[in-house]
Amino acid sequence: MTVVELSLVLLGVSILAGALGSLLGLGGGFVIVPVLTLVFHLDIRLAIGTSIVAVAATSSAGAARNVTESITNLRVATFLALATTLGAVTGALLAGVFDARFLFALFGIVLAVSGAQMIHKRRVPEVKEPIPGLETVGMHVGAAGGAASGGRMADRLALHSAYYDEAEGLDVPYLVANTGLGLALMYLAGTLSGLLGIGSGVLKVPAMDLAMHIPMKVSTATSNLLIGLTAAASAVVYFARGDIDPIIAGPVAIGVLLGATQGSKWLVGIRSDRLRVLFVGVLGVVAVQMIWKGIG
Amino acid sequence: MPPPARGHGALTPPSPRGVRAAVGRVLHAGVLMSAAILVTGYLVGLVGQPAAFGSHAVEKAHLAGRASFPHSFGAVWDGIGRGSGEAIIVAGVLVLILTPVAGIVTSAVAFARRRDWLFTAISATVLSVILGSFLLGWLSA
Repeated sequence: MTVVELSLVLLGVSILAGALGSLLGLGGGFVIVPVLTLVFHLDIRLAIGTSIVAVAATSSAGAARNVTESITNLRVATFLALATTLGAVTGALLAGVFDARFLFALFGIVLAVSGAQMIHKRRVPEVKEPIPGLETVGMHVGAAGGAASGGRMADRLALHSAYYDEAEGLDVPYLVANTGLGLALMYLAGTLSGLLGIGSGVLKVPAMDLAMHIPMKVSTATSNLLIGLTAAASAVVYFARGDIDPIIAGPVAIGVLLGATQGSKWLVGIRSDRLRVLFVGVLGVVAVQMIWKGIG
Repeated sequence: MPPPARGHGALTPPSPRGVRAAVGRVLHAGVLMSAAILVTGYLVGLVGQPAAFGSHAVEKAHLAGRASFPHSFGAVWDGIGRGSGEAIIVAGVLVLILTPVAGIVTSAVAFARRRDWLFTAISATVLSVILGSFLLGWLSA
């Protein structure tokens, strides 16, 4: 292939990665890294550097729309970014200390467990009716269930909110729970992001959705913004190391931006349950891929 | 001052629509700016070095990780001055990386204007962690 031909192929793959990534609140790295290493036999170092650029592109393009559509919870994103950015720095520091194969396998197992949890989880029904006595933010969190530990922290930080569900045609209020656990999981997600150059939305979305009881759609949109902040905390390290090749990262960035813009358009009209099924499917594929890479 | 609630008895959003719109605009502007710089860089490279862009050997060098390209802020700046397409593409990538950071700065300013000091402090801490990582990048390079 010539450079121009390579650029066109990368552009096509990246449009797909961007669309899938922003649709699911992932960075898109789960498409970019396997394609670049397995199909193009690109040096893993450069694949990871390219991936972190794709991650930043997916995040910003998707988040720009989600934020404007009022799906993203900015307070949750800002608060959890404390943990993800610290984690990303930790990951960048730890890079090279751990055996990469062990990490791939571990990551695959974590994904498989999250996927299994999402299939078997008995959903706490999302509150469609106004919660009695909860007209203002930060009041006591009692009846709505799941407001166990961390509910008080969420109260103090006024993390509870509501989002407008276009498919259902109404405002859906929600209460945030287990804030401490969410913070711990986000630190782990940030560390893996810094270490592997991925968005780790596959961990961020379940941390908000399953642990913190934030509706799937809000979790996905908030994850989109968080991923970009996390990527920024490690991307400059990759750039300085010479892991971001403009001839590869340029076409990938343009493609991902195009795909992510389309993907987030679909997200606004899609139903949460369909998004969940698609998400679990992608999770399974990536898990197998990661474990295979770890033991293969 | 709580913003007006949407719908009947819905929870008051903790962050006003205006702030979200502003953050959305900043992210959107960053994405457009970076896309424009990326495409410009690619076209400048294509026009300036048609032989390299049509070359099989150059393609192989890039995939094998043997190609050289700017990877410091100084090299990118110098490259842009020389009209290097690669340097312009890297500049576009850097704008893309910094876009979410610009988003969080916008949101931090809004928190400060609403006198929400807790979230102003949280935003400032997040920003200092990210700036710290930039220093780490320089030191590790």
